[in-house]
Amino acid sequence: MKIFRRTQWWLHLPMIVMALLFLAPLGWMLSTAFKSPDDIIKGLGALRWWPNPVTTENFTGVLSKIEEFPVWQWTGNSVFISLAATALVLTVDSLAAFAYSRLQWRARDRVFSILVATMLVPGQVLLIPSYLLIRNLGLFDTYGALIFPAGAGAFGVFLLRQFFMTIPVELEEAARLDGCGPMGVFRNVILPLSKPALATLGIFTFMGTWNAFEGPLIFTDSLSMRTLPIGITIFQGRYNTEYGPMLAAATLAAIPVVIAFILFQKQIIKGISLTGLAGR
Amino acid sequence: MNTSTVSQAKPKAARWRGDEASGWLFALPHLILFATFVLGPVVYGFYISLHRWHVLSNSHPLVGFSNYSAALSDDIFWIALRNTIYFVLLVVPLGNLVSLSLALGLSSIKRFKTFYTVAFYLPVVISIAVVAVLWRWLYNTEIGLLNMYLSATVNGLRGLGLPLAAYQPIPWLSNPSWVMPSIALMSVWWGAGGNMVLYLAGLNNIPDDYYEAALIDGANPWQRFRNVTWPLLKPTTLFCLVFSVLGAFQIFGQTYVLFAPGSGPARSGLTLALYMYQQGFSQYEIGYGAAIAYLLFAIVLILTVIQFQLLAGSERAARRTAKAKA
Repeated sequence: MKIFRRTQWWLHLPMIVMALLFLAPLGWMLSTAFKSPDDIIKGLGALRWWPNPVTTENFTGVLSKIEEFPVWQWTGNSVFISLAATALVLTVDSLAAFAYSRLQWRARDRVFSILVATMLVPGQVLLIPSYLLIRNLGLFDTYGALIFPAGAGAFGVFLLRQFFMTIPVELEEAARLDGCGPMGVFRNVILPLSKPALATLGIFTFMGTWNAFEGPLIFTDSLSMRTLPIGITIFQGRYNTEYGPMLAAATLAAIPVVIAFILFQKQIIKGISLTGLAGR
Repeated sequence: MNTSTVSQAKPKAARWRGDEASGWLFALPHLILFATFVLGPVVYGFYISLHRWHVLSNSHPLVGFSNYSAALSDDIFWIALRNTIYFVLLVVPLGNLVSLSLALGLSSIKRFKTFYTVAFYLPVVISIAVVAVLWRWLYNTEIGLLNMYLSATVNGLRGLGLPLAAYQPIPWLSNPSWVMPSIALMSVWWGAGGNMVLYLAGLNNIPDDYYEAALIDGANPWQRFRNVTWPLLKPTTLFCLVFSVLGAFQIFGQTYVLFAPGSGPARSGLTLALYMYQQGFSQYEIGYGAAIAYLLFAIVLILTVIQFQLLAGSERAARRTAKAKA
């Protein structure tokens, strides 16, 4: 029981309307992507959602201009960068979160408060100095330029620390009495019990890196180093008014995250409240 | 999430020999990345902003705060600031209202929750590049879906005999005064699901006892919302507001892609972040660009401090009321 004493069936009416409003743009994207140029114009007056005829010419068109738009290369880049960033974040953030939650060292709380404070720094403040830094480190226009900065944020450390702190101290003490050092406790006690939090952070990092926009825009330069979101804008620059191919390209870029989200949606939604992200 | 209390909370754990060294060791891999790509750039960016610094020139003389004073007397900077504030004022209240309403709806029904949650959250997981390309199509004045449906609706109502004027297509992205509202609407669609999940978690954290007590007192649903939900949800609300403002001030991808990569008609889509990008990465004046970024940082910081104080104040007030009621 919350605000209402019983569940309110009539609430489904506004909820359905809202759900349709939220889904409609994506539906229209799919619909347009499968329409012929002729049908895009003709179908409009009748507000026809189902393509007539259903055609994949937009997709084959997008995928045939590999020289100009190396879509597979961009997809491969996005996959590799997202996977590598996720692996990096999970590794360094879980080690760090262990240090900030389970180990006693003098500078700990001071260092951690610096981490937390930087979470309020707008990302754009970092762009210009990072650009120079990445150039000087020889990382410009490499995968490293997009992977390493992803592992530097404080968010994941904060999230995992919140979760690690809920694991009972007694478990750790038992492991220590059995002769485990810090690494043993980390591997045998903390990590196995933190799978939900690690999965949540992993999914967030993957989707965040997949969709990242400003970093790939600024830290890469050559056509073959771009990621899918930047590829979309390159595509748009060329096919400004050809909506069929453009939305086919947009669909290709959106499908992997949409599928990943639908597969893991329980984990993602639960994870947000589980890891104490909500207003606590 | 109240960061001030979180950072003060000291997890209790037994003290073990050797923790001093291993503490640093475990934190080190992340700290190296953090120092290189976050803390270093924050300091370095400020240093850059104090110099006249063109990417291609070898010398960059120290000029003190003249980049900042140049920005403050730059008309285009003020246009960008005004547009950004306009966007924040549109998107934060509207977005939070939508997110809270959806969360309230979800918490009051039993069936099909998964379907609704997926529908509302789905846009959140999509890249801004895809979102903007898609909405540029929906917003097309002549053949966009939005104008098509609006015109069909108006014509339908006229057919029923309502005295309405013929539908004039809305110039969503071509008329300067429509640009920011259009971007805000698109951004609400894109982001509402994120805050909705946070509001939902906040709603679920309110114990049922409070509602039962209110029910015994004879409170109707509106009174239960006003006297139980709203005050107890305040920490969540303020958290969402703080981070919505923080995020909204950084608006970049929306206008970059919609106007690929311009700033819209009569600079109506020019935001602070986009202006920084133009100065830093199109004009290569990175000293000036960094100064704009730091002005943005200063504005956001001041607003965040104000909002955190409101949060602390409202928590004190809530505690006082709770005590008075008890």
